[in-house]
Amino acid sequence: MLKRVTRLVPRACQLDPGHFLHGGPQAPQSLAARLDDQVPDENPRAGSHPSEDDPVRTFNEACLMVRRPALELLRHLDDTNFAHPAVRYVLYGEKGTGKTLSLCHVVHFCAKRDWLIVHVPDAHLWVKSSRGLLRSAYSRRRFDQPVEAANWLKSFKTANERFLSQIKIQETYMWNKRESTEKGRPLGEVVEQGLTRVKNATDAVGIVLKELKSQSCSGAFRLLVAVDGVNALWGRTTLKREDKSLMAPEELALVHSLRKMVRNDWHGGAVVLALSQTGSLFTPRMACLPQELLGKEGFDALDPFVPILVSNYSPEEFESCIQYYLENSWLQHEKAHTEEGKKELLFLSDANPGQLERLCAYL
Amino acid sequence: MAAPAGKVARGWSVLALGLRSAVPRLPGLTQVRWSRYSPEYRDPQTDKEYYRKPLAELTEEEKCEQELRKTQLIKAAPAAKTSSVFEDPVISKFINMMMKGGNKVLARSLMTQTLEAVKRKQFEKYHAASAEEQATIERNPYTIFHQALKNCEPVIGLVPILRGGHFYQVPVPLPARRRRFLAMKWMITECREKKHRRTLMPEKLSHELLEAFHNQGPVIKKKHDMHKMAEANRALAHYRWW
Repeated sequence: MLKRVTRLVPRACQLDPGHFLHGGPQAPQSLAARLDDQVPDENPRAGSHPSEDDPVRTFNEACLMVRRPALELLRHLDDTNFAHPAVRYVLYGEKGTGKTLSLCHVVHFCAKRDWLIVHVPDAHLWVKSSRGLLRSAYSRRRFDQPVEAANWLKSFKTANERFLSQIKIQETYMWNKRESTEKGRPLGEVVEQGLTRVKNATDAVGIVLKELKSQSCSGAFRLLVAVDGVNALWGRTTLKREDKSLMAPEELALVHSLRKMVRNDWHGGAVVLALSQTGSLFTPRMACLPQELLGKEGFDALDPFVPILVSNYSPEEFESCIQYYLENSWLQHEKAHTEEGKKELLFLSDANPGQLERLCAYL
Repeated sequence: MAAPAGKVARGWSVLALGLRSAVPRLPGLTQVRWSRYSPEYRDPQTDKEYYRKPLAELTEEEKCEQELRKTQLIKAAPAAKTSSVFEDPVISKFINMMMKGGNKVLARSLMTQTLEAVKRKQFEKYHAASAEEQATIERNPYTIFHQALKNCEPVIGLVPILRGGHFYQVPVPLPARRRRFLAMKWMITECREKKHRRTLMPEKLSHELLEAFHNQGPVIKKKHDMHKMAEANRALAHYRWW
């Protein structure tokens, strides 16, 4: 779920000017595209959560607060040895502490450095309430999800335009009796095929991921796999088969290909994952640790990984957040400018970023 | 505000304790709205500043009052009344009027979503406007709310008075609390009944509040209709005896 983007805080002198993430409404396109990805589909009945879809529209800018967990991750990414297998970083923490936005920050950082980004904004959407489920043509046991696959291909195309013509596929793929993509054609054609023939979209996604994984070792590009809500891949689904029994996630082709992608049997990039209890199915509300959310299967699949805890705001971060809101005139209540008001906000939100945002929305 | 005595005997009007409303009481009826507290109970003081004043700064009166509070009986503060700096009695009253079936949580969340919606709409307008217009656009949802309700308050109202077997609508000046009540009531009724079934309350309310803030919209029209009716029935004004 997209939380309010908060202001940039120059954290000591470790930041170089490349890290300033202050984007206007026109640029950066990629960040805006990713921010839009994370918005759930416009639904007139989605009134339970107030429309916090567009900080760009409200503030005329998109800002992120630079915080310690993200900085730690960026430092690790800078020091990666691309000859070793891909390291998996898992962002975990309480609800509303900023895991998704730290992930966004990392994605932005890598995009600025021209990595190839494979970003899944919310893996929970793939295991819930899918309208068109088809039997996969490739494997009889699995199911396709054309709508989700097509959406993902669209955002992948916008995010990685340049690479689509550079990367050439290494095998011939037969879509059906009449259509096929030859070996040596650019990856863009596979993506186009998936977008035009929506029935083949899931297979197109599988092919794209497979090709990227095999070719990342060559060194032509650096690959970043960023998945939010990764506990969905090993949880339970609410999708039903024809005989009304619930499916396991392995039976979904998209989940199957993504699971292969987050294994550490490739090198030339990194894998950054964020856990999320908010959209997950059949998990207790208080669960936030990797062991609780991923379950035994998921934990063993992801083991070994680097866990990164994302916690509530420190006093300086809280102060900085309030200052940002005051500068943008988002806090309009006259008492919010006073010391009393700030103390009350701190008490009510307990320095939790998500809660503070919801409080300041109506003040 | 002194609460009237608990139980009023049947057939005894409450003229002695001060009429609550201007509607005449017929004999044989009792006051409907009464409190379980007897008159010596005082209202609770939730203002933090009152308690933070150091002893030296207090005047004789205030010292006397503080001494008195130690021994006097005080009513329990209602759950919705807090010592928060962000509390607003008008907003609390509006939330109570919107509440259905005692679901205060829902009513409060609808109110906060409405304020947020008003704020967002104004921010969008602000960013789309030129520099001169930006100075005129009001972005504080609380000022918009208060001003909109003030704009919706009628100045004069109509009251049914029985004369010669018929009820006549007589124009009458309204007390302040009746005016505030009518403004809020019209606003809520308008949003509940006259809009499309599938639109959500925050959306409808924020739209109506913004229109009322600019002195347009159906609630303002209702106020004007009330004024016109009162003007039309001017001849009956002498039926009023208070």
